[in-house]
Amino acid sequence: MKAISELKLPDNLRYTDDHEWAKPDGDTVRIGISDYAQDQLGDIVFVELPEVGSTFDKGAEFGTVESVKAVSELYMPMGGKVTAVNETLADEPERVNNDPYDSGWMIEIEASDAGEFDALKSKADYLEILKG
Amino acid sequence: METTIKSTPLNSWHRSNGANMADFGGYDMPLWYASVKDEHLAVLTAAGVFDTSHMAAVTVTGPKATDLLQHCFTNDLDACMGPSKKPLSPGRAVYGAFLDEKGHSIDDAIVFFMAAQNYFVVVNAGMGGAIADHLEKNRGGRDAVVLDLTDRLGKMDIQGPEAARILAPLLADPDAVFAGMPYFSFKGHYDPASPLADAVRLKDGTPILLSRTGYTGEFGFEIFLSPDKIGSLWEGLLDTGYAHGIKPCGLAARDSLRAGAVLPLSHQDIGHWPFINHPWPFALPFTADQTGFTKDFIGRAALENPDEVLFTQAFVGKDLRKIAAGEESRVLDADGRSIGTVLTCATDMGIGRADGRIFSVASPDRPEAFKARGLCCGFLKVDRKLSPGEHVDLADSRRKITVTITDDVRPDRTARKPFSEMIASR
Repeated sequence: MKAISELKLPDNLRYTDDHEWAKPDGDTVRIGISDYAQDQLGDIVFVELPEVGSTFDKGAEFGTVESVKAVSELYMPMGGKVTAVNETLADEPERVNNDPYDSGWMIEIEASDAGEFDALKSKADYLEILKG
Repeated sequence: METTIKSTPLNSWHRSNGANMADFGGYDMPLWYASVKDEHLAVLTAAGVFDTSHMAAVTVTGPKATDLLQHCFTNDLDACMGPSKKPLSPGRAVYGAFLDEKGHSIDDAIVFFMAAQNYFVVVNAGMGGAIADHLEKNRGGRDAVVLDLTDRLGKMDIQGPEAARILAPLLADPDAVFAGMPYFSFKGHYDPASPLADAVRLKDGTPILLSRTGYTGEFGFEIFLSPDKIGSLWEGLLDTGYAHGIKPCGLAARDSLRAGAVLPLSHQDIGHWPFINHPWPFALPFTADQTGFTKDFIGRAALENPDEVLFTQAFVGKDLRKIAAGEESRVLDADGRSIGTVLTCATDMGIGRADGRIFSVASPDRPEAFKARGLCCGFLKVDRKLSPGEHVDLADSRRKITVTITDDVRPDRTARKPFSEMIASR
């Protein structure tokens, strides 16, 4: 298990209490789970993602991530319409473990309220949660 | 109430090697190190070492030791070896359970026949006291001494096809040790004072009890020794095993390996319900025609006339997706009616489906392009007997999966392979 000081938490992302991250990318926002989340879950063996075009409110469950240990829900950091999902995770779910912020991204959304991004936690605030 | 969590002699090794730790049976144990999947696969294709010092043991000795165990243990020590049901002989071990009068399991166990009037009984974490009390309470006037060895022994397992090749360089006389060592046999002793101690010694002179048993379905050993010697053996095996691909493994890999090998977890797959109608009939003293029992034992009457008829059955899924097992889970028949609960639901990451059957990463006949994606598997407790091949749905609060009732899950396991095949140079 990684010590908190070993976790990679990029400065330019925003985080949620449920350990998702959000990153603006032009008109869309990319979403995935944090280094802390993947480390806690252990080997991720299956990722269940929504259909492109589906719409979710902030906080709604958009999929599940299955590790050898357990099945966990994924929650929307911001409301919006899914514009893309990371199809490569079907064959290589381990990307979420190896590279949670880049090739292990999960969905891309068109945010219904871009202002919700600013309400998410900064790296410093997220670290406070992890430190308990 | 203050609860204290115990640790094994390898605890600091686990922590300094990045293990994800959790409480299991009252002990702070490693769940996995870097990757549970890699650990599981290492045991199928190379070897893994497991810290199992959390497990407990008791000894039963004296003129009436056999009689006491015959009274309390489900298996028939006078008729349990091989198809011809020969008596257990010194140097052999047998699996069974301790039941209460209701026929419910208190714990499962392996009984090691050390020598005349001398048995070593290995039970689960935290159960040494309970089983010692149970034996003492039911001793009657029998001339036997029961001793709880909880936390007085070190135990580790090395499991996987490379286990003997990795262990050999650490043994004083590997050729003599490995000659004549079938499945469920053992040699040596953990106690330097025992006359058996000379049978197996490490190169540094440490005596060990080396048993060809385990909890993975794969070839390998359980090793009992003095707690102060376990650290050097653990590191020694990791050193000699490095070139063979050995990995330290946590309890998560142990759980997924045993589920694929159709082995039960005590207090989860067997427990407070009648210990019968399950995939482990060899743990009971059945007559050849399976209609009666060959001896009397505590719980017999209840098994012959159970107050509730329940069936424990193994299943395998279509893919690796699982549900959360436990009281909240449901087994649903074709009409959607609940017929029971899910006891264990794990993913064996070393197996997958191809050409209409299951292969393992270690199957010699696996298709060239075979990729093990993993299959969920485990045990159900249902109110009717289901046949292998039958489908049922398993549901938790989140998802429903369709699984198949089966007799076996992971093919081409190595636990029972002839020893000679496992030491031949490759």
